[in-house]
Amino acid sequence: MFDSFLFYLSAFLTCFGAVLVVLERNLMHACIYLLMSLIGTAGLYFTLGADFLAATQLVVYVGGVVILMLFAIMLTGGGLENKKDRLANLLSYIPPMGSLKSYIWGSITAVAFLSFSINITTKLVKSTEINGSIKIGPTVEQIGVKLLTDHVLMFELSSVLLLGALIGTAIISRPSKEIFLERK
Amino acid sequence: MNDNIVSYVLSLFDTAPTPLLVFLIFGVAIFILVNVMALIGGLGTYAERKISADIQMRQGPNRVGPYGILQFLADGVKMITKEDIIPSESNKFLFTIAPILCLSGVLATLAVIPISSGFILTDLNVGVFYLLGVSSLVGVGIFLGGYASNSKWSMLGGMRGASQIISYEVPVTISILTIVLLAGSLSFKELISGQGGYPWTWYVFHNPFTFVSFFIYFVSALAETNRAPFDLPEAESELVSGYHTEYSGMRFGFFALAEYIEVFVVCGVAVALFLGGYKVPFGLGGDTIFGQFFQIGSFFTKTFLLYYVVIWVRWTLPRLRVDQLMSICWKYLTPIALFNLVGTATWIWLFENKSMVELLMSALSGSGSTGH
Repeated sequence: MFDSFLFYLSAFLTCFGAVLVVLERNLMHACIYLLMSLIGTAGLYFTLGADFLAATQLVVYVGGVVILMLFAIMLTGGGLENKKDRLANLLSYIPPMGSLKSYIWGSITAVAFLSFSINITTKLVKSTEINGSIKIGPTVEQIGVKLLTDHVLMFELSSVLLLGALIGTAIISRPSKEIFLERK
Repeated sequence: MNDNIVSYVLSLFDTAPTPLLVFLIFGVAIFILVNVMALIGGLGTYAERKISADIQMRQGPNRVGPYGILQFLADGVKMITKEDIIPSESNKFLFTIAPILCLSGVLATLAVIPISSGFILTDLNVGVFYLLGVSSLVGVGIFLGGYASNSKWSMLGGMRGASQIISYEVPVTISILTIVLLAGSLSFKELISGQGGYPWTWYVFHNPFTFVSFFIYFVSALAETNRAPFDLPEAESELVSGYHTEYSGMRFGFFALAEYIEVFVVCGVAVALFLGGYKVPFGLGGDTIFGQFFQIGSFFTKTFLLYYVVIWVRWTLPRLRVDQLMSICWKYLTPIALFNLVGTATWIWLFENKSMVELLMSALSGSGSTGH
């Protein structure tokens, strides 16, 4: 019961955060909602038993990517525009569709299409009932062994990619030759 | 269910876990833990002022209660009743959420802190890794606090804080990794069970590399918690008071509380990883309830000793410059930590995971037997 409650809470956080990211006009706020969504995803991993993946999600996204995004937004001045209030924001997203008739037709079509597609997809996806609490097994060793045996090529390639990024950053952030000589 | 407070309490009373009972035990344990941490955070400010006064040959707070020990309560009441000012040009949403992010990041780390073999909220398989991930929320909080205040000082402090926390996460992680190599696990209980109650069975004295990596961890942890000599984000002589310049009342209190609790958490992690955690010499008390109290005492004694060292360092050493800060992290601590990692791996491979003392004892007994 408690596990499923946590699962639904994380699912709600993920979806609600994602929706708010799209609706928000202020980039800085959108970034915070993205943080909420990412933490929700980590919660989903935790409740489904992938503990290492969840912790990695926290380390990589919360500690790294979001701070990087915040820095980028701050340095480009993206958070300063769009001081409209929220309600006006939301209303402006509803497209001008003309009359009441077109609204009704549009919503009926949407409902019909959604129910049809959900009917099909639920039959395709296998669902298994989880009985009792979810057993969290150690996944760290399995991931480590897999990374260094079956997927060692991918592992090496990604490290080459990271090295490339590191060298690129060093070259970009290095002062140009004239400045360097002037300083000397 | 993994080994945690719930399974321990249930084994004491020999009852089956029902959802309500589990919920109740967790609730009570969390209530106790959070309140104790708030108390530690409050007493931390008192200890800081008293110790700094001692070092500078002053009296320190001595008006409220005996020896001024109730000073933190007075401060707390002052903070709660103070007017909560939000600057009109600030970004209100971010301004409100920044201290909450900071404090929740720190409080979330408490879930895996091993206070005794029974009192641990949850013993995750990836405990240390989880702790690193969650505590990075503090960096986001500090940065947002600086950005949202819309003030130059706050901005500079927030940027310094974020870059410092990200940089010093690298040596912290690598020096934790050396211990993880020795124990072969990321869970706190496994890490502690590899150590004993006596100093020579701790991981600090396991081999020369872990001895060095303890100090690297400690120095980097000082920087990660923004403590002096690395308190550049709130350098009061340059930046007024850094990222929380514009904060007042309880929002400022959240930042201060987060800092003091984080220092405690960081010291607790150092104790658990390097200094034997909750292990008691002679196995006093065993697995009984008294044993738990001995273990809690052992953990808290070591942690508070480290806490004292942190405060002592703050009032003894001068502050670093920004470029010195970065060069210490990237040119000294990180390479030494990496070298330690490789060195520990080599040690494990050469001596089959035996500690220095074990090797010495076996060498002595070996030579003794040949001498006879």
